[in-house]
Order: sequence, then C-alpha cells, then structure tokens
Amino acid sequence: METVTLTIDGRQVTVAKGRTLLQAAIEAGISVPYYCYHPGISIDGSCRVCIVKIEKMPKLQTSCSTVCADGMVVHTRDAEVIAARAGVFEFLLVNHPLDCPVCDKGGECPLQDFSYTFGPAESRMDFPRRVFDGEGVKGDVDFGPTLMLNRQRCILCTRCVRFMKEVEGDAQIGIVDRGYGSEIATFEERGVHSLLSGNLMDICPVGAILTRDYRFKSRPWDNPGVVDTMCTLCSKGCSTSAWLKARPEWAKGTQLIRMTPRFNPEVNNYWMCDIGRFTYHWVEGDTRLRRPMVRRGSALEPAAWHDVEPPLRGRLQEAGSTDPSSVRFLVSAHASTEELFVLKQLVRGLLGSDGLSAVTIAWTRSNKPQSAAAKFKVPATDAPNVNGARDLGYRVGPGTDGLPDLLPLRDAVEAGRVKAVYVLDPGPDGSLGDVSWLGPARRSGALGLLVVQGVVMNELAAAADFVLPGATYVEKDAIYTNDQGRVQAASRAIGLPGEAREDWDILASLARSLGLAMPYESSHDVRRALAASMPGTAYAQADTLVFTRPVPARNWLQASNPSERWKWDFLYQDLPPVKGYSVQTEGMPPEAVFIPLKPVGVRS
Amino acid sequence: MSFHPPMEYAPARFHKSARPLPEAGGEFAFTPENQAKFDENVKRYPPDQRKSAILYALYLAQGRQGYLTAAAMRHVAQQIGCTAAEVEDVVSYYTMFFTKPVGKYVINVCRTLSCALRGAERVTEELRAKLGIAPGETDADGMFTLIEVECLGACDCAPVVMVNDDWHEHLTPERVSQFIDDVRARGRAALTGCHLRKEKNGHEQLTVDS
Repeated sequence: METVTLTIDGRQVTVAKGRTLLQAAIEAGISVPYYCYHPGISIDGSCRVCIVKIEKMPKLQTSCSTVCADGMVVHTRDAEVIAARAGVFEFLLVNHPLDCPVCDKGGECPLQDFSYTFGPAESRMDFPRRVFDGEGVKGDVDFGPTLMLNRQRCILCTRCVRFMKEVEGDAQIGIVDRGYGSEIATFEERGVHSLLSGNLMDICPVGAILTRDYRFKSRPWDNPGVVDTMCTLCSKGCSTSAWLKARPEWAKGTQLIRMTPRFNPEVNNYWMCDIGRFTYHWVEGDTRLRRPMVRRGSALEPAAWHDVEPPLRGRLQEAGSTDPSSVRFLVSAHASTEELFVLKQLVRGLLGSDGLSAVTIAWTRSNKPQSAAAKFKVPATDAPNVNGARDLGYRVGPGTDGLPDLLPLRDAVEAGRVKAVYVLDPGPDGSLGDVSWLGPARRSGALGLLVVQGVVMNELAAAADFVLPGATYVEKDAIYTNDQGRVQAASRAIGLPGEAREDWDILASLARSLGLAMPYESSHDVRRALAASMPGTAYAQADTLVFTRPVPARNWLQASNPSERWKWDFLYQDLPPVKGYSVQTEGMPPEAVFIPLKPVGVRS
Repeated sequence: MSFHPPMEYAPARFHKSARPLPEAGGEFAFTPENQAKFDENVKRYPPDQRKSAILYALYLAQGRQGYLTAAAMRHVAQQIGCTAAEVEDVVSYYTMFFTKPVGKYVINVCRTLSCALRGAERVTEELRAKLGIAPGETDADGMFTLIEVECLGACDCAPVVMVNDDWHEHLTPERVSQFIDDVRARGRAALTGCHLRKEKNGHEQLTVDS
C-alpha cells in the first residue's frame, strides 16, 4: 500500500495515499469537528468547520476535501484556526434554534457537542432567528411516511441530499431556493419514500430529520443500555444496535426503543433498511406468547411448563408409535443455528439417520421496492438462517434464491398421512408463509396433533393443541448464517416475556423427556457441540463468537451520532464535552484558550 | 411484513409547509422542434455529464409558456435522466426561472453594490410607484413583472435593469417613468443596453417572450 507521511499538530502521521486530511486526523485520534463529511457518502465541503492551517498555503483549508501529500505540515490547534472555527460555529448557530432541551437529538448531537468544544463561549446574535413557523405553518413538517423534518434546525450540510443520490439512488431530496432562503425539501412536498429513509435520521448531524417512530419517545439519558446485535428480518443480516429504554420505576427492566445500524463494511456498511429498523414493535407487542397453553375442549388454556410437558410427550409418542415418520416438523428459517442443531439431534434420535426428511424449512420472500441504482440492496428472502439450515443438512430447495416447497407436507397432511406436526417459528407473524391450510386440517381431524412453538399468537397458534412460548431474536444469544455464508452472532438485548423460554432449551427438554441425551446447559454449550461437530467449516469457531451485553449509557452519551460511533470511540475517551473545557485547548495557557469575540457595534 | 409499519400520516393537520409549490400544470412535453434542439444540445456534453444540459432544457421548457410548471419540471427530469427534485433544485436557484406566470416584460433591477451606490433602491421605489406592484409581483394587465436581482455584470453602466434578456443601462430614478412608457410603446426597441443580444450566425435566441 502506498502511503504518505505528513505532520499534524507536530505528530508524524502516515496514512494510505489518497486519504484526506480529515480522515488522517481521525485515524490519528486528532479531534477535528465536521458535519458535512460522512465516511459513507461523498465529500462536499459545505459546512466549513473542519478548516485547518496548512503551511505554505495562503488560506485555511477544509481538511475534508484536502488530500494528504508527503511532507504537509498541518495545524489544527493554531490560534488562527481556533478563531476561524469559532467564527464558523457562530454562523452555524445564527439560525439554529437553541431548543436542545426539547430536541430529540439533544445529548447525542454533533452540533451540540462540537459547539461546546470548538464554538465561541457566547453569541452576539441579538436579532431574530429565521423561523418557518407562521400562520397555519410549522417549521416542523411531514417528510414522508417515516420521517419528520424540522427546518429550523437544519444546518444545510446536505448529507441527506447526497445519501439519497448516492446510496438510495433516487435523489428525492433537494435544496430549494438559494442563500439565506435555502431549505431542504422534496419535490411538491411529497416527502421521502424510500426503504432506506431511516438512515437519514442517523446521518443528520442535528435534530432536523427525525423518525416518527423514535420522535418524542426517549432521550439518550433515558436509554440505560445499548446492545450490539444483528437484525434477523431478512437474509442480509445487518449489524445493528438495539437501544434500550428504562421502564418507569414501578415497572422493572428495559424495553426496546429503537434499532440503529452498526458499521460493518462486509455486510451493511453504515446503513440498514426501514424494515429492520421499525419492525421491532411486535417483539414487545400484545400478541406475544407469554405462557404455555394447552387445548382443553375448544379453548386454549394457560398452563405451567411442568403441566404441559408430560401430555405433550405422551401425545407425540402416541402419534409416532406406529410410524415415527408420521411426525413432521415445520420450521421457520428464523430459527437460529443452535435451535436447528438441537432439532437435528432430536429428529435423528427419534427417526434415525433419515430424520431430517421429516423437517420442512419454511420462509417467505417479498419484493422490496428499491430504485435500480440503490447501492444498499435489501434481499428478497425474509429469513435470516436459510443458509444455516442448508449447512446443517436440512433440505432447503432453492435456498435464498427461491421459495420453499411446502406442498409435499400439505398434501401429506391433507391426505391424513401425518399424525402430528410440530411447528417451530421464532419469527414475526407470517414468517412461515402460507400455512392457512394447517389450522383447518387440524380442526377437520385430518391432522391429529398440532404443536406450535412460537412467539406470537396467530391463527396457527390458535388452532394448536399445545402452544409453547419461545424467544425472539433479541431475547437470546444465537447465531445465524446470512446469504453471504457469514456466521454472525445476535446478542440478547432484553429479557424473555413471562414464562417464555429459549427455543433450543424447549427442544432440548422435549428431547430429554423422549429419552434422548441432551447435555446442554446453555446456548453456549450448544454452540460448542456444534463447533466440535463441524470442523473445517465456518461453524468450527461458532463457540468463539462474541455476544455483547448492554453497554452502560454513560459510555453512549459520548457516542453522538450512532452511525459514527467508530469515530467517537477514540475521539472522547473521558466525558462528554463540558462548557469552558475543550479538548483542543488542553494544556494551553488560558489567554490562548480565550476565543476573542468583538462586542457588536464596538470598533477596535 | 409490510413495507412501512403503519404510522399516522396526516399532513393536512398541522405539519404543513408554506413553501410555494410550482403549479401542477397540464401534461407537458417538448414540441418536436424543441426536442430536436435539446437532442442536439445534449450531444455537447459527455454522456456521464448529461445533467449539464439541464439549464438549456429548462430554457426550452420555459420558453413555451413563460414559466415552469411541475409537469414541465418532471418532463425535463425525464429528458435529463435525473429526479424532479434535482430539477426543482436548479429552478429555485436561478432568478431567471419562474414557477408562476409572469408579465410580458420581466424587469430585473440590479441591487448589488455599484448599482446600489448609484440609486438602485430608488429605481425600485420609482418602479413600484409607477407600476403599482411590489418586487416579485406582476401588474394587473400582465405586462410587467418586477424582480430585484443580484449583480447583472454591467457595473460600469449602473444603475442597470434587465428586461427579459436584455440590459437597459443608466436607468436613473428620474427616467423610470418615461422608460416604462417607452417600453410599453416600443417594446424591446426601447432598451439601450450595449449587451443587447444580437441574432448572430443563426445562434438562436432564448427569450421568454419570443
């Protein structure tokens, strides 16, 4: 790799050729503020706060758009730079409202943080700010089905404009008017209609673009923890962070409050889609299964686990007594690899080496409306672990390229050749595809036993003889294999609701009750056995994958924009910026730290 | 799983923007003649910089009805291969593009330094009084539209006004009334600008009123 060596603030810095000064400074851990620069989109150079002094150049330069050259001598803490930067900050705040106490971005806002650190201590603005509010008009306007735009707060960095043009591939956002009248807007005020619209909240460096989903719901200091996990709503498997909000004092625990993407250059870069971002409400929704249920007569009645397991075992043994292969399993590809591994041992133990043929893996596909030029594509397959099932030896037909074939199972069930169907579905409602035939088959008596191990109460669960509450993707440590074949870990973020149990645990205790050996105490034990059984594959390291736990909020108060956490991780190692103290002026004499501002109307 | 989770979306209730939107307009397409001109012009740019032809396309579109409707912008976007938002971006940037009907003569008064020093503000005041309209408005009979603009590039002849695409120089406040009457009577012939565009070697004129 070709490199160039330059000096920044007296430090020798060596970076790859073609890097800009700002990137070099970030890599070297030197704090330079910026707004319009974002590592995932192109360089614009419109916010001007990243200005630095370069020796032998006549004027201050924007570091985001200046490419590093050998022997450059750059100063980021020069008195001239500090004064000029403070001037830029003063201008940025000319029209920016000081509604930080009620702004959703407050506490995780780069404008707030950088203004404290690099801006002038006081404002000279004694004239009214530009506001859009008026008769019947709000500065805060609808910005499409998922977003709100607060035009007052916008600092016109154009990150959203470039995101839509470059990543989404459909430039729906533009800047209308010019100069002082400029505002972010969409054609005919139609708003942003995009599958990637949620990312605009992440890249907006101020509280101008907010998601309707998160708006007014929580503040950074209400979120005691954040868990690095992954999204399992399609076969892409984006790395995400699950944000947890503390419940009120009278209620224990935490609740999911939002999902944001986590930088992963191999899979999702800085982005995630709206499906993964906003489809988490079902996890803590009213339809969640919280207790095991048994059918008594025509009604499903809640029961304790110890009252459910013996009859379940009895009914299954009865169904499989004449022909074990008349017990079939219908498994959603939302099941994690651990669950599939335990299930494999279960069916092998019961049915012999041909056991896997009793298992049908199901998933759905849906067409995601995206522009042809979109760089971030959302795959059609709506399940995270089709490849995991394939790697374990299950029959998955066309895999992630097509739909599963449920017809053989359906024909067998409707012809009465199947005595029992055991459904395993830890995914959201509908993730098995069309199984509307299963309930009627049970009701008509063609099928003798229907067991549903799932997470939501739906039509299928309502028709079941036994309902076993399992765990969703944010409630268990589990691994999934995405469409690239990457084995990825999804960490537990929240506790299980009610008496629900992790799915591998339910399967393992069922297997134990049927007389099989299941020496597992935790999902980690399962992964260890999985790793031992598949040497030489990507699963051989399954037991070394890292699962995170909630990170305390005080660490995250420093992490301003979640999509730029990689930056904050080394920018601020101690505390959030405090007024009167500045990283950039550490160790400098007080008179040099003072940013001089001339009082208005006084000539020097 | 739906494309978007169900969320309340009631733009009519209070989250309304007061931004003046371009008129929707009827169906719009270039005339075959303009289409040919556009196709010819777009060849001047490399294929990956097709967007450079956007100003020319907008002039062609505006030339037909004097202002640009949303339908016209959409047609230009389609011709250029960009989105309507990007076209509106350009339209709203330039003072030469209009999104509502304008008068036969659009009077652009320069208000930048040289003209301002020579009394451009008073020129505007005189024009307001004479025409009975404020900057940005069109008079009742659709003859004149008054706009204040930034530097027209004729500082040596300040104060200068631009009428449609041609300059009129040294328009002192005292001469405004007579100038308006003159334009009303003689049209473009009343203008003095030395920058008055000439028809030369077949290079076509792009005027709003042509």
